[in-house]
Amino acid sequence: MSILEVQGLKKTYTTRLGGSRVEALKNVTFRVEEGEYVAIMGESGSGKTTLLNILAALDKPTGGVVKLDGREMGAIREAELAAFRREHLGFVFQDFNLLDTFSLEDNIFLPLVLAGERPEEMERRLRPIAKKLGIGEILKKYPYEVSGGQKQRAAVARALIIGPRLILADEPTGALDSRATDELLRLFGEINQGGQTILMVTHSVRAASHAGRVLFIRDGEVFHQLYRGAGSEMEQYQRITDTLTMLTTGGERR
Amino acid sequence: MKGGFYRRIAWSGMRKNGRLYVPFLLTCMGMVGMFYIVSFLCYSPMLGGMAGGTVMQMLLELGQWVIAAFAVLFLFYSHSFLLRRRKKEFGLYNILGMGKGNLALVLLWESVLTGLLALAGGLAGGIALAKFAELGMVFLLQARADYALSISVEAVWQTVRLFGVIFLLLFLDTIRQVRLANPMELLHSEAAGERPPRANWLLAVLGALILGAAYWLAVSVKEPLKAFLWFFVAVLLVIVATYLLFMAGSVVVCRLLQKRKRYYYQTRHFVSVSSMAYRMKRNGAGLASICILCTMVLVMLMSTVCLYVGTEDSLRTRYPRHLNLGVKVEEPGQLGRMERERALFEEALAARGLAAENVLDFRCASFEAFVDAASGEVMLDESEMHAFDLGTLADMWECCLVPVEDYNAMTGRNVILEPGEALLCTARTGYAGDQVSLSSGQSWRIRERVEDFEINGGDGALLTPSMYLFIGDFEEAVEPLLGLESGNGRPLVSLKWVYGMDVEAPEEEQARMAGEIRDGLARLKEEAEGEADGAGTRTRGWTFESVAEERLGFYSLYGGLFFLGVLLGIVFLFAAVLIMYYKQICEGYEDQARFGILQKVGMTRKEIRDSVNSQVLTVFFLPLLAAGVHLAFAFPMTRKLLALFNLGNTGLMIRVAVGCYLAFALFYVVVYRFTSRAYYGIVSGDH
Repeated sequence: MSILEVQGLKKTYTTRLGGSRVEALKNVTFRVEEGEYVAIMGESGSGKTTLLNILAALDKPTGGVVKLDGREMGAIREAELAAFRREHLGFVFQDFNLLDTFSLEDNIFLPLVLAGERPEEMERRLRPIAKKLGIGEILKKYPYEVSGGQKQRAAVARALIIGPRLILADEPTGALDSRATDELLRLFGEINQGGQTILMVTHSVRAASHAGRVLFIRDGEVFHQLYRGAGSEMEQYQRITDTLTMLTTGGERR
Repeated sequence: MKGGFYRRIAWSGMRKNGRLYVPFLLTCMGMVGMFYIVSFLCYSPMLGGMAGGTVMQMLLELGQWVIAAFAVLFLFYSHSFLLRRRKKEFGLYNILGMGKGNLALVLLWESVLTGLLALAGGLAGGIALAKFAELGMVFLLQARADYALSISVEAVWQTVRLFGVIFLLLFLDTIRQVRLANPMELLHSEAAGERPPRANWLLAVLGALILGAAYWLAVSVKEPLKAFLWFFVAVLLVIVATYLLFMAGSVVVCRLLQKRKRYYYQTRHFVSVSSMAYRMKRNGAGLASICILCTMVLVMLMSTVCLYVGTEDSLRTRYPRHLNLGVKVEEPGQLGRMERERALFEEALAARGLAAENVLDFRCASFEAFVDAASGEVMLDESEMHAFDLGTLADMWECCLVPVEDYNAMTGRNVILEPGEALLCTARTGYAGDQVSLSSGQSWRIRERVEDFEINGGDGALLTPSMYLFIGDFEEAVEPLLGLESGNGRPLVSLKWVYGMDVEAPEEEQARMAGEIRDGLARLKEEAEGEADGAGTRTRGWTFESVAEERLGFYSLYGGLFFLGVLLGIVFLFAAVLIMYYKQICEGYEDQARFGILQKVGMTRKEIRDSVNSQVLTVFFLPLLAAGVHLAFAFPMTRKLLALFNLGNTGLMIRVAVGCYLAFALFYVVVYRFTSRAYYGIVSGDH
């Protein structure tokens, strides 16, 4: 069974006075299987962020269905949504979204604290993750004291610590330099190898080339998809670039 | 056309920042209105024409300057909040191609609009309320007034002038700030990384110690005169300690809480505690200031309300009877011969068909002495006297020797004393010994302590402790004391005949009686001077006081203080809560991003709301709470200070203190509700 099932997803924004309507998502349908590493690519305005917000249950679709683990998200009551998000989804954002009033450790603990976990249990869970991500030494530091790459790794740790069914990453490499980007993508690869399902929205061909599958969105629809299969990252990189070129020059392949 | 453009931009800028501008405008209006009212009262011919009105107007003129000075400070302060929020907007205009000159024009329009609105609204409110204030004042002075509405042109002109200057200064300050900054700085003036607050244990502990010392000082001082001196020391210590505790102590507490993992890692505490550390680091000084401001307002309110409400008490303590006469003489033998003075009172009573009540009528020999209340030693003061050495003054007693016959006559008892025996009555301080011995050699065994004797008033009525000794052999006992001199060469002992009575007559009638008696006394004095030298009735002088005549003076002074106290209380209260409001709003914008993250990470809206509430609640009520504790500890000292104003009614003071605090808290709660709603609106992005 798929972890995530998106069917005929539609999102229409109406300007406040009801004048013009903008279709951010027309008809998006795809599935993500357990253990997959999927990247979603598209130009600015193609509806990527809207899609991610709906998957994160931060926004409601105008039409269509999103199922996580077979459970329809539209049917979850508002009051339970926050808890649902907390227990099933891990988030990694472009601008890290770490709270500057917390040390890295407390930032990572945040979802567990919200879930009412005991301090000992939180420590126990953190240790292996911190080791894997190489942030054991800087846990007591504050976000402003560490580099962008370190911040992003702390954010990944925060996403992982709840043991989510799905990690949603929004341009996770967007604010990182190339070394930190490589480092993060390597980590994502490792995490995925460990069985973690990841859905990543990105602009970056390099980031997307690490994923097992790339979905291309244009004008609110899934336009095309590419499986990496057994190919190397370099090959995948080339294929993504070709597809993007075709997309921008207006190809009509489906 | 071009002018219209700038005006429109200014106007829409103000409207879009309504959440910041409306409170600022209201503050301005409040200040303008308040100033106008006080100024109006200063010029009010009705008030000036009333008895006691001039004293009031003098006090008000003083208050007017306090309000003016405060308005300048406070408007600058709240305007700086406004400016900080709007710098980004100015930066944007700048980048979009508006020169600094154009920007200045927009700002000029904003200042003009703000000024006009504030003056119009404030004056309208002020004029509407000034009449009420005037009636209130008249009522305080216990007089009657007409109800015609009037506008004082002088007061309007003075208000316009003052606030015109203030708004001009605000405008110039804005220009200066905008000129100094470059566009990119203006755009980014809000975002800046911040270090986590460090817990400074040393300062926190120091603060706690100083506060403890100040509190100890406040409750341990016994004598009112000492209190006067130490009050300022204690106030200074409390101020220092409040700053230390709010700035360092609060962070230390947050850090301690964070160390307790079981407590810290709970949804309810996690976000609140760690944000509070930052909040306190940023706002500690501000909150401490507000706490001190609140305390001052409360103490001021309490004192002035007590003074006013307790006016009758003070009058009775200061003037023990409706009519009071004291005649000083040189020889004990003269004390008995006061028939002519007595006759004056009797004539005045008889002419109105009244009878004297609660008559005070006794001879006494009074002197000041150092009394060792434990051993019963009374050191007659023959050495150099330091009248202003407050520390020693506290052990200085007013001692009176009174013939026991006079005591018997007044109380209707029939006490017969053995030689060397005395009755003792003390006021203000207990006396432990069972005998009193003067350093000149005489001593009396105390046969009985009596309480049915009402102590004489006088200027020092409540200042110094006093002791009345009723003795059998008055003239014999007094004789050896007469030759003694105090340090400044004047006779130590003064012989006095004290006469006083209550009369059941209306105020005006009492005043007329007092006038007649005073005239009579003056006549007697002239006659006495005309008589041959050494004749029996020669006196050193007399003092005659009537409550009826003094009452108005008391009411105009205490009423004026009361009115000013309430007025300044309101002004400071407004200031305090507005500062809180602005602080919270500004923080709201800063916290917006933070709460966005929390929501993404999985905090429910309810949890966010709870966390917001607990933080705003703490920030808001911490100063009030601390002010309450300060007030409680200031109470004993305030009580002793009020004793200097002849007010000794503790029950009344407690009621007034509690009442003031509750009224204060109520207003506070209302503002808190508005603030937390506005704050939540901002952080949840609903605006």
